[in-house]
Amino acid sequence: MGSSSRQRATGHGRQGWRDGWTRVLGAPAIVAGVFAMTFLLALPLSIMLRGALSAHLGSSLAAETAATGVNYDWWQEFTAQATDLGTTFSPSIVGFAAVLDNVSGVIDARTPIAPIATALALYMTGWAFLSGGIIDRYARQRPIRAHGFFAASGGYFFRFLRLAAFAGLVYWWLFAYVHPWLFDDQFDNLTRGLSVERTAFLIRGGFYAVFGALLVATNLVVDYAKVRIVVEDRRSVFGALSASLRFIRHHGRQVFALYALNTLTFLAVLALWALMAPGAGGAGLSMWLGFLIAQLYIGARLALKLQFMASQIALFQANLAHAAYLAAPAPVWPESPAAEAIR
Amino acid sequence: MGKGAKVRGSKGPRVEAPKVRAAACEDTSEAAPRTASLVTASLAPLRGQAVLTGEQLDSFVSNRAGQAGWSAKLMTTPRRFAAAFLLCGAIVVAASARQQTPAEQPPAGEPVPASQTAPRSPRNANYEIDARLDDDAKSIKGRETIRWRNITDQSTSELQLHLYWNAWRDQESTWLRERRMAGLFRPPPADAWSSMDVTALRLRDSSGDMRDATKEMRFIAPDDGNARDTTVMSVPLGRSVAPNQEVEIELEWTARIPRPFARTGWVGDYYFIAQWFPKLGVLESQGWNTHQFHAATEFYSDFGVYDVRLTLPRRFVVGASGQQTARTDNADGTTTHRYQGEDIHDFAWTASPSFVDLSKRFESPTLPPVVIRLLLQSERRGQADRYFAIISATLQRYGEWFGAYPYPNLTVVDPAFQSDSDGMEYPTLVTGRSRWLTPDSSQTPEGTTAHEVGHQWWYGIVATNEFEHAWMDEGINTYATARVLEEAKNPNRVESRYFGGFIPWSFRDIPFTRVDNDRLAGYRLNAESDAPWTPTFQYWPSTAAIISYNKTALWLHTLEQRLGWPTMQKILSIYFERWKFKHPKPADFFDVVREVTGQGHYWFFDEVYRSSNTFDYGVQEFRSERLDDKTFTTTVVVRRYGEATFPVGVVTTFDDGQHVKETWNGQERRAVYVYQRSAKGATVQVDPGHVLLLDVAYTNNSRTLSPRGQQASLKWSLKWMVWLQDLMLTYGFFV
Repeated sequence: MGSSSRQRATGHGRQGWRDGWTRVLGAPAIVAGVFAMTFLLALPLSIMLRGALSAHLGSSLAAETAATGVNYDWWQEFTAQATDLGTTFSPSIVGFAAVLDNVSGVIDARTPIAPIATALALYMTGWAFLSGGIIDRYARQRPIRAHGFFAASGGYFFRFLRLAAFAGLVYWWLFAYVHPWLFDDQFDNLTRGLSVERTAFLIRGGFYAVFGALLVATNLVVDYAKVRIVVEDRRSVFGALSASLRFIRHHGRQVFALYALNTLTFLAVLALWALMAPGAGGAGLSMWLGFLIAQLYIGARLALKLQFMASQIALFQANLAHAAYLAAPAPVWPESPAAEAIR
Repeated sequence: MGKGAKVRGSKGPRVEAPKVRAAACEDTSEAAPRTASLVTASLAPLRGQAVLTGEQLDSFVSNRAGQAGWSAKLMTTPRRFAAAFLLCGAIVVAASARQQTPAEQPPAGEPVPASQTAPRSPRNANYEIDARLDDDAKSIKGRETIRWRNITDQSTSELQLHLYWNAWRDQESTWLRERRMAGLFRPPPADAWSSMDVTALRLRDSSGDMRDATKEMRFIAPDDGNARDTTVMSVPLGRSVAPNQEVEIELEWTARIPRPFARTGWVGDYYFIAQWFPKLGVLESQGWNTHQFHAATEFYSDFGVYDVRLTLPRRFVVGASGQQTARTDNADGTTTHRYQGEDIHDFAWTASPSFVDLSKRFESPTLPPVVIRLLLQSERRGQADRYFAIISATLQRYGEWFGAYPYPNLTVVDPAFQSDSDGMEYPTLVTGRSRWLTPDSSQTPEGTTAHEVGHQWWYGIVATNEFEHAWMDEGINTYATARVLEEAKNPNRVESRYFGGFIPWSFRDIPFTRVDNDRLAGYRLNAESDAPWTPTFQYWPSTAAIISYNKTALWLHTLEQRLGWPTMQKILSIYFERWKFKHPKPADFFDVVREVTGQGHYWFFDEVYRSSNTFDYGVQEFRSERLDDKTFTTTVVVRRYGEATFPVGVVTTFDDGQHVKETWNGQERRAVYVYQRSAKGATVQVDPGHVLLLDVAYTNNSRTLSPRGQQASLKWSLKWMVWLQDLMLTYGFFV
């Protein structure tokens, strides 16, 4: 195995990446669907927060500056008396700080408050449900209509739930034990005598890389397990996991090349957002324009998440199956009772 | 001699009195009395500057005369005339002053005269200290001679000393008990503890001989009777020391240096050493004022002269209080640094081989020069300009507002990471606070640095009792620092930090205002925690700072809004001038307020100082209804929701642009105003100028009949929604 195999691996990775985008862009309804799910799950909590903000502002003149810019006095007064959702209303919601806050929150194992945690749990369950239909659609590379999509989603849902339980255990173990061992115990031990912040940051950065690698590795195994469950119609989750491990072991370079490409794309989207993210802004048209730009960013993130899935499917099919191969037949809508009545 | 010319000091010839033409001192009768006043009043900020350029003179004359409101005739006195009288005064000052150019340092080993300036303080607690750092064992071995003079009107037969480092000897000290009680403490590793043991004590008795009194020392716990607390030691003298009599004692001690505890300790090869020697308490007329070391307090001690020799391994760069007067390289690879400080009441020092040692001279037309020495961490070398800029801005403003900084030098330390020595003040030595990554628009390092430099005035020179009245230094200083930052730090933006606190993000749309630096947000959360008149050592530890710093700054700023800045500046400058190098108490400050304003403001101080009640005024009801075709009835009900009272304005505006202003004394629970006018009511505001900064809920102070709350809440909830969507996508990684 030499440079030619590396080139083949990279070539397959690039091909998978391109193929992935073809599949994503060829099924815009899926992008729209997951966007709708993201939007609709965030909406109720946003409405609740709006109510709390509105109640606190009342008919105060403080709302004037809060509407046209930033009224930081009022902001701090609100958060001082806030409970639950209101406690998350911090300057970190503004612009690109939201990305920093959220990624930092996850990688630093910050526990979300109960209402947010509930919304996140619902969101992840929604993805677990839809993933079956999404993978099925991307794998078949042809429209399967809504009935086919949801039939596939329902068909694979319980297998994906079992897979999610396994993945959940692994992630729980990583966050409950590995994370504190790294970031509390080992970080404290290594930095205790340090008087140079830059060195401490490099150590922390190294730990982020290690922990991130563990998360990515788990993620990859679970992702390819999902692909194999759908493409090969595997019933056993453990079978799918070991098959996923085998695939990654035998095609590691391609798998990581593809992951790296997708990650670079993700970073490019973030960089673009960092440049374009609106600040506090005012009310009125600029508010809606800012919100629209933000929703385009959310849409891009969602498309990228789908790209991860689609490109992994493409890579798998290019190596072990063929394009549009699925072991399970396409779901067929059952006959209508009316048709039976005619007979 | 021109601006910036060096004045030879103690190393060389004494300062030469400037030669002036005889005519310069001629009395021109008409202007003489006023001019004499001009000279006297003007000399204070000129002390230390032996010559004046013409430009400085012009600026000075017009500045001072303008401030004092002196006659136009004097202000238009010909330049030569004014120069003559000022130079006469300068001769008087220069003849009695000896100055050493701060930038000059004597060669190693060369002695420096004991006293370089005329005493500005009682100098009743004088220390000669010889100490050696054991870098391997992280310990200090020291020997000191203390010469103490009883400046009270009462005799005493004992001395009381602080041994602060015993607060971290074990978990049963008062300091640690209080921390644990407040949930603020996590037991450190075994090597983190400290101790201070006096191994020998000798008293010079009436015959002049030194008597061994080591076995006579005993620990006392005057505040809480905690027998396990060994931070205060009593030494019986065996005789009565009458007023104005002196006592001399010698002590030898060893101290184990802690891992950072309350701003002192070591990390890596960085040391910040404070409260490191047995230090006398303060004898007052009522007896010894020597509190145990508490979690919520700092320190209190008398002024004197410090002559300190520190011996450390040669590789260390050392900074300390006072001025370095000698440096001797020893044969064993160590170096002895000698520092001397006059009219100071504490001595701290720092050492690290990694310091970037920078100096800059602060010069101002109206203030004496100061040599600023900055000991910077190498990873923050790029922040040197920011540090120097804010230090200079603080020296300038505090000097102009309150009184000139009287020392020739100031050392500012950029503390090492994890040293816990940031944000602390000692005479002529302070620590700033910064991070490796800090945006230009955030106030790190400016915020803390300005505050600590400001402590040279409020704590260093006006030396209040931080055990009992921490508000008098922390609160006044927080108030003044907020003013400095408002003027000198631009832009100044709110900042958050992520990824373990390492990565900053500055919010370009969210300014950090003066009221933010008054720390209103923190105050609001714990406004009722303690009443400020309570001795500070009795505050609840986790909220003590909120009362000392935040509440005081807010009520001072409120007072400024009521009285105006010129009056406030006058109060503080007179208070500074009257109480510098002394130990004022709260009543002394309130007396100055009464003297300057002609009113006691007792009602105000009763609320903000003697009470923990909160202020909250708001609009309970506001409606405007049509009475007939031409008339609207507008009803305004304003309410006092809090228990503290303050007179407030109530302004009601109408659709035709007219407004009505009422003044409400704020005493009753509510006030009702009804207006019948041809225009409909539009808005009502209680305290529209936001004079009462202690109001914990300013949002309810106003109402409008055209509210924009729905728009504001929609805008911010949409932003929050995007944050939530992003969070969902981030967690989407796991599915």
